[in-house]
Amino acid sequence: MSDRSKGLLLAGVGGQGVILASMIVADALVRAGNDVKQSEVHGMAQRGGSVVSHIRWGPRVSSPLAPKGSAEVLAAFEWAEGLRWIDYVRPGGAVVVDVRTIIPPGACVDRRGWATAYPRIDDGPIADRRLQPRLLNAAAIASGLGNVRAANSVILGSVAGFLDIDDQYWEAAISSLVPKGTAEINLAAFRAGKEAGTVVIPAQPAPEATGVAGPHVIEVKHDWCKACDICSRVCPEYCLALTLDGKLAVVDPDACTGCRLCEILCPDFAIRIHPPVVAGVAAGEGAS
Amino acid sequence: MLDVDVYLRQWAMPHVLCPGCAHGIVLRSFFGAVDRLGLDQDKVAMVAGIGCSSRLVGYADFCTLHGTHGRAPAFATGLKLARPDLEVVVITGDGDALAIGGNHLIHAARRNVDMTVLMLNNSIYGMTGGQAAPTTPQGSIASTTPQGSVETPFDACRLLAGAGASFVGRVLAANPGAMTDIIADAMAHRGFAFVEVVSDCPVYYGRYNKIGEGADMLTWMTRLEQGVADPLAEKRFVEFVPGAGAPAGLATGVLQREERPVFTGARKATP
Repeated sequence: MSDRSKGLLLAGVGGQGVILASMIVADALVRAGNDVKQSEVHGMAQRGGSVVSHIRWGPRVSSPLAPKGSAEVLAAFEWAEGLRWIDYVRPGGAVVVDVRTIIPPGACVDRRGWATAYPRIDDGPIADRRLQPRLLNAAAIASGLGNVRAANSVILGSVAGFLDIDDQYWEAAISSLVPKGTAEINLAAFRAGKEAGTVVIPAQPAPEATGVAGPHVIEVKHDWCKACDICSRVCPEYCLALTLDGKLAVVDPDACTGCRLCEILCPDFAIRIHPPVVAGVAAGEGAS
Repeated sequence: MLDVDVYLRQWAMPHVLCPGCAHGIVLRSFFGAVDRLGLDQDKVAMVAGIGCSSRLVGYADFCTLHGTHGRAPAFATGLKLARPDLEVVVITGDGDALAIGGNHLIHAARRNVDMTVLMLNNSIYGMTGGQAAPTTPQGSIASTTPQGSVETPFDACRLLAGAGASFVGRVLAANPGAMTDIIADAMAHRGFAFVEVVSDCPVYYGRYNKIGEGADMLTWMTRLEQGVADPLAEKRFVEFVPGAGAPAGLATGVLQREERPVFTGARKATP
């Protein structure tokens, strides 16, 4: 092992076990006789937010953070999170990616058609940076072993192929850190991950036709409406408003997404929301 | 998707309730519960007494019975005994249920008559001009308490749980989804089910107490709420703290649920 310290990044979504996996890596590296520093960012992790953990090791490490373009390995537990941190890997470094996708609510770019802006799974970004790819279906491997939550150990198994650490240190680290009673399955997952080759990028199905194309039609029964103002106050898209003479007006019918808050909260049963006649828009439309 | 026009008596609409009165939201949620349980409209009997909330039976296309003030649980008991095949629902207000008809209500609960009581609590007598009701929170202004009510109000859920109701729940009118859930749960429950719906009276209570109009009152009631995840938790009955900006303290959710022999032998519909 050279004297220069090396870096590794683990990235994923809150709840996938990124932090535990990084503790295992750090522990295995310590057991192998390295100086190790580890640092993580897990702000909104519990709410499905982005989690990243940096690990650096070597004879002597001063800072836990790997500079951009320097990490040996990026282990991503989810596709988009992998892309988010891919710039940290050095040219020729390795990227271990679970090809599963977890689409966050924030990716919704059209509240009416439910189109999402989620990156396509293709090996372009990996090939562009001349990285060694190892695409996995870790969740599928782990659930095949009996517990999908061991997917992080599958990833670690694959990462182990790129690091120079003896297996006994890995296995000791896993056994001592995983929750009680799960050491066996995590060790099995680790071994399965080691043996798993890279998968071919799965054929991506044509986006399902979900949501609706046009605006919903807001029907107001003016003879039932008492202009209590509840609907216009709850409408998130400001479709409805009271006019100066105290009548309810549909001021922006095209903005209606069909959330039906106005219909549900109208005490006078005066609003009906009708779905648009033409239904079906490609959910992937608008995806980058 | 719920089609309310199936359940509304079209010829009777629009209803008489004031602008912003949340009672209509409660009626829609009740329709949602009936729709979810898949009940035949002719097998649902709505029984009411007198009051704003009791007017709702006039607009619902079920078997409906509009009785005398406070006696809706008594009518409903008789109806359930004579026609056990009917799903009997009492819709009543806080004054109707707790003041004028207090005895009928607690004895129906004690006997565990297989019925559902929806009590729409707007904290005031709305129909007769904003007088203080048994549920008017201490310190609140009503037409008969211009300096603020000095009496301790009823906690209806605690009262009914003490009287032996086998299902007790509370929900906000501002939360129609949860309301549909709890009403459907209560109707599916075998035995006496009591649901207090925190409703509003923007014309009297909201105006006197400077809370605002219908939309303001819906926001206001959410600030009183304290959700109950565990129905058997110790905190299930907490004090009702009145007034805008008051600390949250109104327990919502299913507060009590138990299985007891019912007064009538008929089975309820299952969800």
